[in-house]
Amino acid sequence: MFIYLDKESLLHRLHPVTKIVGLLLLFIWAMVFNHPLYLSIIFVIVLFLSILAKSLSNLKKFWILLIILAFFSTLLWSLFLRGPTRIFKLGFIQISKESLLYGLAMGIRIDTMILSGIIFLSSTRTEDFTLGLSSLGLPFPVSFALSLSFRLVPTFQATTSTIIQAQKSRGLDLESGHLLKRIKKHIPLFIPILIHAIRNTDLLAMALESKGFGFKKRRTYYLHFRYKWQDWLSIAILAGLIGLSFYLRLNGYGVIFRRI
Amino acid sequence: MKAIEVNALTFTYKDGTTKALDGIKFAQEQGEMVVLMGHTGAGKSTFSRCLNRLIPHFHKGNYSGEIRILGNSIRDKRVHDLVGEIGLVFQDFESQLFSTNVELEVAFGPENLCLPRGEIRERINEALQLVRLKGFERREPASLSGGEKQRLAIASILAIKPKIVVMDEPTTDLDPQGKLEIFSVARLLKSEGYTVLFIEHEAEAVLEADKIVIMDGGRVVTEGKPHEILRDVELLENHGIRPPQIAKLFQETNEPSLPLTVEETLKVFQKREWKISDEKYTALLKKDDELNTDYGKKIIEVKDLEYIYPGNIKAIDNINMEIREGEFLAIIGQNGSGKTTLVKHFNGLLKPSKGEVRVAGEDTKGKRVAELGKIVGYVFQNPDHQIFADTVEEEVAFGPNNLGIPREKISLFVEEALKEVRLEGYEKCDPFSLIKGERQRVAIASILAARPHVLILDEPTTGLDYREQKSIMELLESLNRKGHTIIIITHSLWVVAEYANRVLVLHKGKIILDDQTRKVFSQEEKLANSFLRLPEIIRLSNRMGRTLLSVDEFKYCLKR
Repeated sequence: MFIYLDKESLLHRLHPVTKIVGLLLLFIWAMVFNHPLYLSIIFVIVLFLSILAKSLSNLKKFWILLIILAFFSTLLWSLFLRGPTRIFKLGFIQISKESLLYGLAMGIRIDTMILSGIIFLSSTRTEDFTLGLSSLGLPFPVSFALSLSFRLVPTFQATTSTIIQAQKSRGLDLESGHLLKRIKKHIPLFIPILIHAIRNTDLLAMALESKGFGFKKRRTYYLHFRYKWQDWLSIAILAGLIGLSFYLRLNGYGVIFRRI
Repeated sequence: MKAIEVNALTFTYKDGTTKALDGIKFAQEQGEMVVLMGHTGAGKSTFSRCLNRLIPHFHKGNYSGEIRILGNSIRDKRVHDLVGEIGLVFQDFESQLFSTNVELEVAFGPENLCLPRGEIRERINEALQLVRLKGFERREPASLSGGEKQRLAIASILAIKPKIVVMDEPTTDLDPQGKLEIFSVARLLKSEGYTVLFIEHEAEAVLEADKIVIMDGGRVVTEGKPHEILRDVELLENHGIRPPQIAKLFQETNEPSLPLTVEETLKVFQKREWKISDEKYTALLKKDDELNTDYGKKIIEVKDLEYIYPGNIKAIDNINMEIREGEFLAIIGQNGSGKTTLVKHFNGLLKPSKGEVRVAGEDTKGKRVAELGKIVGYVFQNPDHQIFADTVEEEVAFGPNNLGIPREKISLFVEEALKEVRLEGYEKCDPFSLIKGERQRVAIASILAARPHVLILDEPTTGLDYREQKSIMELLESLNRKGHTIIIITHSLWVVAEYANRVLVLHKGKIILDDQTRKVFSQEEKLANSFLRLPEIIRLSNRMGRTLLSVDEFKYCLKR
């Protein structure tokens, strides 16, 4: 799932620290409200950001996932929450206006967060991410490992699909049987995957050491970012919007269920 | 001052029972290119990892002896202390690359050395220039070809500016085109003044080396100039190295000049008036044709096949072919030419986007892989992608169990499959403890045990040494003689020439040649367009107007 897009955009040029902080702020913002209308506004703003980041092409890969998540969230919350205004009842099953709206809101919230993540990964190289985490005070090996784990996902996916095909060729049938049996059937997949991962990690570690990883406590970065006015402005705008949102929420706006 | 000087180096891995290195003595001058050869398990990789202290720091074990790099003992050094002196390139380039683009991959080493940004930029430029990857700076490593990836791995080491570059089988996983790229980089490094230690299987590629060193059983057995070593067919074969074909041709002659290249050989032939016997050549052709009429009924039929991967990438473009029972077919072509995609249709792993594939007369559409597995067995390239069981026996029984073969028959089938691959007595062994060649045999047995008629093998000889390659191919030959239809995908053209009866050449998803091996290999130019370079013995015979596939055939036909 390597989705970085090598383009020029405002978001690509922002300092990685700005983007990491920005991502966290977007997550917080999405948590403030639980009313679909208010959350939709945030969603539209994030959608606008993804246009700014020129990452709409990545969105094409994920929109089905986003719709499915929104749908199931709406469905499940409406079924399990009870609200005062009932609009539908059939035996056990009942749906209220509030639970429906709340479910919709939760769907939009999840989608907003995923979309923010997609924008982040589309406009931030793993190396930028490493640099950002290091600038925030994390030791280099830790930041490197964290961002590397994103990088290795596609390699890992490719091997997994080869292993599945190899075992299928030996007659492994993953689709039939009851749950316990099916889990057992995954052992011929897990073991080769695990062994591959261990071997790969080992090789990577050797390659890293052979390239002077950990040579000195400090290191330089070929990439260079400076904090510019765009960085300060982006954070200020986001912080302002979140401040405003908290104010509204505390005054009772954008809420379906008060306690949740 | 010597670049590398090793004395009495002995090492046993922590869990190992035998010495991986046993009293190595070795020396290399600065600016020299030395090629290290030997069969799998001879200790070549272990040796290379000692040179930059990965052993004993990364792999622990019992270590003794002394190594001097550029005159200094490295006894008290750690891996990263040595990066300026010695750089190590590994066989597996996939797991060495981890950056977003080419430029950042190369920058990683210099960044660790705390160099200023301007200097890093210069070093990136220089390194990419050397491996001829200028202009690739912003490319994502995953989008590069195998040869380009390995060159990138080399550049990422060169940017650290080590004086010695050690390459541990960098060409093993590459297609012929990729191999040539790496050989030319190695030559270039030597001419730029680097000290190069090159671990390599292919003798012909390294005629320019200053010295060849042969290892066996953790020791240095012998060393000498390439022309001396490569002519000693017996020595090479004794240590599991494939001798150059031309050297083998001259082995039992009294020719004093002992040529190694096609041009040299042609001159010798002219001088001595040696020719290819027409009579005997006609006999060979007759044998080819006889074989052709011997095959049974159609087992696989492909009609107007097209396959399109997600993202609208056409991998197979209008392929028509059929395979008859008893054939031994080799599918060749560059990486990305569609070889694997094509054969995955034969056991139903992939279903046609257009056209149809019939196995034993039935359309694969709507058939599960498990059903087709009874007719078509597929051995994947890397045995480690499928081995999972605790014992060899269990591993081999997995397929037949899945395919619903009755229990009482399974143990018989397993026993016979293991006998076939000559692994009797290994039933209770842990498959992970076996060496690569043996694991490859376990993988083949695990497919054989389901008794499929057709066997597909994806690169069955990759990563194996000459001895193991020969024994796997002999195994396939004997299975073929017993009636199995064999289909292999391979880059190794001498394997194709010596074992396959029919060759299919793919290029960009299309068939460009499909005929008897001899007929396909007579079309040297067409093959060269797909970056397929024939073994010397075939090139030699083609120059003489005939196509001879092996040294034995050549000896048989040579009129002296």
